[in-house]
Amino acid sequence: MTSYVIIGGSAAGISCCEAIRDVDEKGPITLISDEKASLYSRCLLTYLIGGKIDKERLLFKDKDFYKTKNIEALHGVKAVSIDIKKKEIDLDNKKSVKFDKLLIATGASSKRLNIPGGDKKGVFGLRDIIDAEGIMSMLDNVDTAVILGGGLIGLRDAYALKLRGKKVKVIVKSPQVLSQIVDKDAAFIIEKKLAQEGIEVMKGLAATRIDGNDSVTGVTLDDKSKLSCQMVIIGKGVQPNRGLADGTGIKVEDGIIVDNRLQTSVKDIYAAGDVAQAPDITTGGLKINAVWPVAIEQGKIAGLNMAGRDTVYDGSNMMNSTDFFGLAVISIGITKPKESVYEELKYSDRETNTYKKVVLRDNIICGAVLVNKVVNAGVYGVLIAKKVDCTPIKDILLSDNFDYAKILPIVKGFPDKFNKPEFKETVMSI
Amino acid sequence: MKKIFCDITKCVGCKGCEIACAVEHSKAKGLSAALKERPLPKRRVKVSSSDKKILSIHCQHCADAPCILACMSGALSKEKESGKTVHDKDRCVGCWMCIMACPFGAIVRNIEDHIAVKCDLCPDREDFACVRACPTGALFVGTEEEFKKILKKKTHV
Repeated sequence: MTSYVIIGGSAAGISCCEAIRDVDEKGPITLISDEKASLYSRCLLTYLIGGKIDKERLLFKDKDFYKTKNIEALHGVKAVSIDIKKKEIDLDNKKSVKFDKLLIATGASSKRLNIPGGDKKGVFGLRDIIDAEGIMSMLDNVDTAVILGGGLIGLRDAYALKLRGKKVKVIVKSPQVLSQIVDKDAAFIIEKKLAQEGIEVMKGLAATRIDGNDSVTGVTLDDKSKLSCQMVIIGKGVQPNRGLADGTGIKVEDGIIVDNRLQTSVKDIYAAGDVAQAPDITTGGLKINAVWPVAIEQGKIAGLNMAGRDTVYDGSNMMNSTDFFGLAVISIGITKPKESVYEELKYSDRETNTYKKVVLRDNIICGAVLVNKVVNAGVYGVLIAKKVDCTPIKDILLSDNFDYAKILPIVKGFPDKFNKPEFKETVMSI
Repeated sequence: MKKIFCDITKCVGCKGCEIACAVEHSKAKGLSAALKERPLPKRRVKVSSSDKKILSIHCQHCADAPCILACMSGALSKEKESGKTVHDKDRCVGCWMCIMACPFGAIVRNIEDHIAVKCDLCPDREDFACVRACPTGALFVGTEEEFKKILKKKTHV
């Protein structure tokens, strides 16, 4: 009987457990998580802070998931080191666990900010439920919050605090918000929406110091100006928790390197989720795509392989979907191409806050940005994932009535790529 | 699993399925009363065309459903026995991850309630509203095998 150990209890870890159990009902599974809380969705934390959901709805699996799946879950326990020869993991409670197959799904942590005052009361990152509870416990004493960073996490934090009636200022170094995932045209619409809803975005600035004695009273910026605030949230992105791989011989670059079966450079040890540097479809290289759907898919495929069902991972794309005050934003793949080999098709209507962009290379779609009208985003997504020549439909890619019907000839024409039964079923009668 | 298929050669684009779907998902379950409901009841099928081929686009209830993998709130899940991809509106937060993931564009936004909406295979009735409403028999309920047989028969006639 194969024994499995999963380190990490978020998206990739839980998804892996589920996949193993789909194939292997008996093999013992031990899940180790340094978090006390279990089965909650990190992505929902800003919804909790914003008061849109209660704590119970943070769970993305049933409460009795571990029991029904027969998983021994050790929460509040940290894996300290991996002995790849003995196939054993030392835990911080002085115990150790042996494994036949191991998944490292240790995720990522909020990037810290090296400026004075970062340790004051009222300074937060937002990564786990402890951060969220800390933020919520202080809300009554906060009039103004300053968010450092205009990425997805920073803006989601800003949105949540605005819903709680706080004054919110977002400090962004770049000339636009969401610079990692959308272009300046899309950012323009998003910034306009945020401004309308009362969130002040201050671009081209960075914090040099967090002011106050024990508690935060303000932030000093690099133009020497000062903002008064009672809370600072750092939204400067995340870094992979790859420390466990150090000194083990497991190959590491930005994250833990995995192959197209999510296996690391060491046999029987797999990695998935925000810690894994895995095949990326649009760039063709190895990349960390630290987003929920990718973590779930990687966890699943790692689990299937660990349980002996050989399954190839086709790779992932960077993809993000979010919503600010009813303005939907989706971005997939390469959205800000730098080289001239890329071609951009754009449609923009600033009156209705609508923006669409498709990025192509040699008539193959490799990225898309959609603002407001996001329905059919997945149709672009599948074209990006399958890397098919879109010349026949290029003229209508941005039209209002673009949808799955328009790609039927492509689905029919590339049966090897569109090989899932559901694709075949839609073209069976033509 | 038993699901809804569209015979593209038979669909004439009347949009009867769209109307029947919206009515089935109204409070009143009748056309004239449904038209007065606000917000208007939402359809979960869409009639569209390409190159003179017309079809009704549905949730395919994929065996390996990308929308379920993408759902970060646990709102989308697979019903083991029936194979249905089900959406729990009470768990949905309107993040649109499912819309980003669905290759068929079969999930839409309910803007008023800020949740995703998709085909639920008509839980309140024995048959399916869209199939019942289809005047040409383009929509078919059955397994993939049964659908294949029907198509085969047609080509032999």
